[in-house]
Amino acid sequence: MVEKVRTVEDVCCPFCGTLCDDLEIDVDLKTDQVVEVRNGCQIGTKKYFSSNPSDHRYTKPLIRKNGEHVEVSWDEAIDKAADILVNAQRPLLYGFSSTECEAQSKGVELAEILNAILDNTASVCHGPSLLAIQDVGASLATLGEIKNRADTIIFWGSNPVHAHPRHLSRYSDFIRGYFRTDGRNDRYIVVVDPRYTHTAQIADKYIKVNPSEDYELIQAIRAMLRGSDLDVKEVSGVPIESIKELVDILKSSNFGVVFFGMGLTQTLAHHRNVDTAIRLVTELNDYTKFILIPMRGHYNVTGANVVFTWNTGYAYSIDFSRGYPRYNPGEFSSVELLMRDEVDAALIVASDPGSNFPAAAVKNLFKHPLIAIEPHKTPTSVFADVVLPVAIAGIECEGTAYRMDTVPLRLRKVKDAPGECLSDKEILERLIEKVREKMGE
Amino acid sequence: MAEINLKIKKKLDFPLEADSITPDNFAGKTAAAIKRLPLYYATKQVTIGDFFDVSGKSTDVADTKIIIDGDVSNVKRIGENMTGGEIVINSGVGMHVGNHMSGGKITVNGNADDWAGAMLEGGELEITGDAGHYVGSAYRGYWQGMKNGTIKVKGNVGVESMLWAKSSKPSNKWPTLYCGSADSFLGIHNHGGTIVVEGDVDRCVGADQAWGSIVIKGKVSRLLPSYKKVGEVKEVQLPNGEVIKGKFIEYSGDHTIKKETNGRLYVAA
Repeated sequence: MVEKVRTVEDVCCPFCGTLCDDLEIDVDLKTDQVVEVRNGCQIGTKKYFSSNPSDHRYTKPLIRKNGEHVEVSWDEAIDKAADILVNAQRPLLYGFSSTECEAQSKGVELAEILNAILDNTASVCHGPSLLAIQDVGASLATLGEIKNRADTIIFWGSNPVHAHPRHLSRYSDFIRGYFRTDGRNDRYIVVVDPRYTHTAQIADKYIKVNPSEDYELIQAIRAMLRGSDLDVKEVSGVPIESIKELVDILKSSNFGVVFFGMGLTQTLAHHRNVDTAIRLVTELNDYTKFILIPMRGHYNVTGANVVFTWNTGYAYSIDFSRGYPRYNPGEFSSVELLMRDEVDAALIVASDPGSNFPAAAVKNLFKHPLIAIEPHKTPTSVFADVVLPVAIAGIECEGTAYRMDTVPLRLRKVKDAPGECLSDKEILERLIEKVREKMGE
Repeated sequence: MAEINLKIKKKLDFPLEADSITPDNFAGKTAAAIKRLPLYYATKQVTIGDFFDVSGKSTDVADTKIIIDGDVSNVKRIGENMTGGEIVINSGVGMHVGNHMSGGKITVNGNADDWAGAMLEGGELEITGDAGHYVGSAYRGYWQGMKNGTIKVKGNVGVESMLWAKSSKPSNKWPTLYCGSADSFLGIHNHGGTIVVEGDVDRCVGADQAWGSIVIKGKVSRLLPSYKKVGEVKEVQLPNGEVIKGKFIEYSGDHTIKKETNGRLYVAA
């Protein structure tokens, strides 16, 4: 029998921060298209199929001429993109979280040459977690530790059933571990969320907190942990008896974990929610082992933070305008810069601010020259002046990515990219070369 | 007092970073020499002369008064690290005005943007309008913010003002903020700062306060559950010796830090 497909095993899924590394992909030998994905969740599977040629996949560089995107050569597109960046007075380089680390470090190099502002999607996602960690530190662990040891799991403002579909089965809930031989039965799951989410539905205890009042609830838990009796009967919609019960559960666990998501970082109080959650975890270590892990969204946003940090000292919101890196979210973070209209050109790598940023920020982004390094048609790329088609990292090129617990894993190439697509790294290298040439270096 | 007048002559498309505008840098310089001092605009280094008309003369630091006219609401870092003298700004001002200042006085006759008086170590900052977020606060990652000096804001202060303020009894340093009203997280992580608010305050005032005094003459939108009522008082004595008369409810907290705490919050009864 003649083989019709080629199977690539142990593939690392480039979708969410869970970074599952057990996927099996079947690629049709004749057409070089993905025909089957095993072990992946629905979203990860979809991403593999999205790499196949389609009417929304870019295969050739595009430049906007007379309002229309026109196919051009790579040389012309890179030249035009370099022109935009060199002529800008305050360029912004944004995105990077859905590509691999080698490309991210090239982004840092380009930002430094251009004295640009460099930011990644943590800015609108887990940036507040990073701010809080800077303020009060953090007790972290790898997901393997959790799989083998954790018996009390709290999902606070995160809904992994939908956002990190295989998280529960691989690390935090159903999985059997070395000391948790009975899997789900050996773990006690608590979900704190304003909505009765699908994760809440499989939990042992669900705490319904009023929207954006998480901070007060955590403060109450911390005060009770210190042995104080509170004056109030209810905090953030949760009766004091229920909080007492939770405090007892937390104190009596053997190994507890708090997984937190956008419900903490992007509701009112932002980084202060995380600040107090970290302090709660620190204080719980007086009684038992407790750690916390941010549920990172983009598969390599952790990598973006790590790469930016070892290059510049800072994880995101970095300004090179004075020739050296400076950091100040709020002052140099993309959304705030765009809201104040302080950016006059932007390079977007592996991200879609057009559909995620506030309308006022997007309006200012589209007002100025825009370059998108992008595999698919997105609300950002359709407004771009230059579109550079890219091979999808983890599907069409190799690289390194960091899981949400900062464990680096190697991404695999399972097939070739369609058309003239180049990797993010290659595109950024060509841009750096062209920019250097135009700046006379 | 020797006066130096600066008048901005260009409309700004990007923020101008003016950390060189301080009495320390201007002292003993002629107008021509002051014009040559560096500023930063977008990615370029420029000079004061490129953006400001400069007139007057200066003597020593303590005797130098800088008066700034024209719209400088997008000029950042005026008065950074200043140790003495005076700056008067007759307009709104950009971010970081008077950050790290350790002496002298800055008066802003208008609104100030975020981080006004951040990490203040002494001197006085007065703002006649509103101030942005992080007034007198610590910069990202610092565990000790404002250590001494006074900030007076007539209007509202933004979120997380007086973050990580730190007093010192042995060296008699009492960082103090007076303001008209305040947004959420006023005095968070307070370690001895004093805050007096004439009007209302939003949620989470004094969150994680280790010690210090916060006096609110108006209302608090939502008091933290980790604060406990102690009783009622008829006057409040501030650490700097000042006495505030009026009926206040005294709360202790934040009890997240310690079971028994010296942190106090006074809210008008």
